[in-house]
Amino acid sequence: MRVIVVGAGEVGYHTAHRLSIEGHEVVVVEADRRRLSEIEERINVMGVEGSGAHAETLEAAGVRSCGLFIAVTDIDEVNIVACLLAREYNVPTKIARVKAMGSGSTNPLLSAHKLGIEMIINPLDAVAQDIVNIAAHSSALEIAEFADGRILFVGYPVAEDNPLCGVTISELGDLGVVYPFVMTAITRNGATIIPRGEDTVEAGDHVFLLLRKDDHPSVRYMLGFEHEHVKRMMVLGGGDIGYRVARHFEKNKLRVTVVDPDDATCDRLAEQLDSAMVLKAPIIDVATLTSEGIGLSDVVVAVSGDEERNILAALLAKKNGASRALCLVDTPDYVSLAPSLGIDACVSPRLSTANAILKYVRRGDILSVATVEENQAEVIEFLVSGEMPFIGKKLKDLSFPTGAIIGAIVTDERIEIASGDTVMHEGDRVVVFAVPESIVAVEAFFGVA
Amino acid sequence: MNLKVTFKVLGALILFLSCAFLLPVPLGVVDADGTHWALLMAALVGALAGGTVLYVCGDAKPELGHREGFAVVTLGWALFGIVGALPYYFAEATPTFIDAVFESLSGFTTTGATILTDIEALPRSLHLWRALTHWMGGMGIIVLSLAILPMLGVGGMQLFKAEVPGPTTDRLSPRIQDTAKLLWGVYVGLTAVEIVLLMFGGMDWFDATCHAFATMATGGFSTKNASVAGFNSAYIDYVITLFMFLAGVNFALHYAWLAGKPLRMFKNEEFRWYTIIAVAATLILMIANWGTAYDTIGENFRYSIFQAVSILTTTGFGTADYELWPYLCQVLLVLLMFIGGSAGSTGGGAKVSRMVLIVKHATVQMWRLIHPRGVRRVKLDGRAVPEEVLQSILGFFALYLAVIGIASLVMGGLGVEPVTAVASVIASIGNIGPGLGGVGPTDNYAHLPQLGKVVLSFCMLMGRLEIFTVLALWYPGFWRR
Repeated sequence: MRVIVVGAGEVGYHTAHRLSIEGHEVVVVEADRRRLSEIEERINVMGVEGSGAHAETLEAAGVRSCGLFIAVTDIDEVNIVACLLAREYNVPTKIARVKAMGSGSTNPLLSAHKLGIEMIINPLDAVAQDIVNIAAHSSALEIAEFADGRILFVGYPVAEDNPLCGVTISELGDLGVVYPFVMTAITRNGATIIPRGEDTVEAGDHVFLLLRKDDHPSVRYMLGFEHEHVKRMMVLGGGDIGYRVARHFEKNKLRVTVVDPDDATCDRLAEQLDSAMVLKAPIIDVATLTSEGIGLSDVVVAVSGDEERNILAALLAKKNGASRALCLVDTPDYVSLAPSLGIDACVSPRLSTANAILKYVRRGDILSVATVEENQAEVIEFLVSGEMPFIGKKLKDLSFPTGAIIGAIVTDERIEIASGDTVMHEGDRVVVFAVPESIVAVEAFFGVA
Repeated sequence: MNLKVTFKVLGALILFLSCAFLLPVPLGVVDADGTHWALLMAALVGALAGGTVLYVCGDAKPELGHREGFAVVTLGWALFGIVGALPYYFAEATPTFIDAVFESLSGFTTTGATILTDIEALPRSLHLWRALTHWMGGMGIIVLSLAILPMLGVGGMQLFKAEVPGPTTDRLSPRIQDTAKLLWGVYVGLTAVEIVLLMFGGMDWFDATCHAFATMATGGFSTKNASVAGFNSAYIDYVITLFMFLAGVNFALHYAWLAGKPLRMFKNEEFRWYTIIAVAATLILMIANWGTAYDTIGENFRYSIFQAVSILTTTGFGTADYELWPYLCQVLLVLLMFIGGSAGSTGGGAKVSRMVLIVKHATVQMWRLIHPRGVRRVKLDGRAVPEEVLQSILGFFALYLAVIGIASLVMGGLGVEPVTAVASVIASIGNIGPGLGGVGPTDNYAHLPQLGKVVLSFCMLMGRLEIFTVLALWYPGFWRR
């Protein structure tokens, strides 16, 4: 499929990169010649110089045969105009990044629907949602829900004293008899492994499991992942993202403290937030934060506009006893720093936006998607439709693409965590875990064009 | 300060009041008690005075500023008190003119304190006039004039804000005249419903009208010496309790409810607190009265809730002599006198929202001691209250207490016994009526010294206009051009 990405900023770069890895023809439109040549050198895409808001440029990029149009420049108006132009060329799917409007926007006057754009994405919404998901589940790295929330995809860090250390996957399979789960992936030193029978779990790994939501507490206990309910949180930085995160947790009855050094920001927060406490202090003011209980916080989220300060603040929070610390960084390269620094997770607005776009792109027969550890793998839900050759066969007799694993089969009545004897039927929903390079093969396996 | 336009508006108001004198005239004619001459005389005097002023100042530019607004409201209310006293004076219903002014101001300010020793001896036409002063003063005679007189349109918000009680004022409609009309519409509607309900309970049209006027205005003038107890009917007690409670609610909420948004009322924080206070006060009274004043739960409930709501809303009707109740009850009722009704209602007192905000403000001060770097705003209905509104509430309380202190001192100086001195001042500035001691629910204000009645009249005026409006006139430089 031909994909046009307007804007070669970080969001554009990551989106284009992912789509090209998955085998799409990607054309990037960018007005800045230097950025364009940079992106052409680094990833396998074609560049077209010019503004996305000009029809001539879009024609040159091949908009007439385009199947997916993504406008993610830094300027809202350019993105909207580009998508409106693409609409005139009958591009089936158009996505615009608009900071002034979000999917949660309640203003009915101008909606994505009225503009005839399939998806409008607000980077702030995307990153706030990511932070909320990670912060809400203590010790878990990633949590995503599938099959209407009946299946969970969770990631946990393996500590040195964890009983899983040194255990092979086939030994783990025996454990799964009582409370079934599938270990879909292990990330080790930045690489993602789809584990097979003889692979072992090691200290420092991150393991990713698919399991029934009802079994989650039991499995977590069985595998020795400690669990504390998040009760207290501290949000460092009271900008748009900080406000959204604080608002979300305040509504969920958590004790939230928001810290910001700016007078006007604090006033606005005190006005808009209900039960959350607002402190006027620098986010690295250890004395104040300690006396306000940063050491008792279950999670500290550093989301100010200054990424270096965010990293420092998260480190100081951990040092002073916070159970977990997340921080917001702008430079995508910093995201991978988190584990080596001892910060629990770094979140980047641009990556979050790119991920949200990719999730959207994969809908259709694919029902939902979650991304693991900065794009290294994805969990995708497929619908088994029509006369597929594998229907009625046991999983162990099928040749499933490498780099992918079937996690669970969901029907209307039941959920089956996959084992070798599992059989798929028409109408089943299948939760699959795959690395990006295998996604095209998996899509082909399920007959998705 | 534009004196000419101030006088022009005052002239129009007096002229307007003179028309109101004509309403009870037919009743005087029917009863043939001679009061129609007194009322007609009063109308004539008022019309001449108002007409002359209006004629002399007729060419003034109709522009009302802040200061003109305050002057119009304060002087207007004082003049209503004086001109409204004329029917009592001409009919020789009161011993002195000061007594007549006290009775008239007590009516307009919806206080309900009386200097009449035998209320039932008053002619029916003057009873109706007494009830009318309540009813006009309840929603605000200036708000009424705004609704009717087009000349007050410019600068009307100044008048409106100065007269409608509460720390902030809701505007129901972009045009101030329309807001005034809506509020009066709701007021008239509720009054009509109460008249009908009271007549179902066996009252004749005259008693029903007088009591409905006094209830909806949270006034408290009754046509009986024993107040509402004179009817000795549980049904009437409960109907009046309900309407006293409704009159103490912000009329903007009544409007929302009638306009098909009933839930607005329960989302309103002041309304919730107002309800909680009323319920809690009733429960405490019932517990204290249990086995002491009343033996059956039905009686206990009926009398406890009536006195609690009557005092909280600053109506001042009585069905029981609470001076015979345990001391706990008496102290509680005095505390309720300070709270009063909701902002934007016809009730007096300091208003529930001011009390809620002052408590919240104090809580935030304590919180700041524990969290020195914390930032917290005082909120009402989930919205932050502007700092200047809080400042003005603090100022209001300071002045409210100062006025109570000074006026009580003066009353003591005039030889009034201490409990009566303090209670009469609290009952007057809160626009309640009955207090404790010599001005308790079964007593009246007739025995107080003449100068004391002047002081209390002044307190009633300050309570109704919420102090700032009245005191502003004494501020140095107010009258400067």
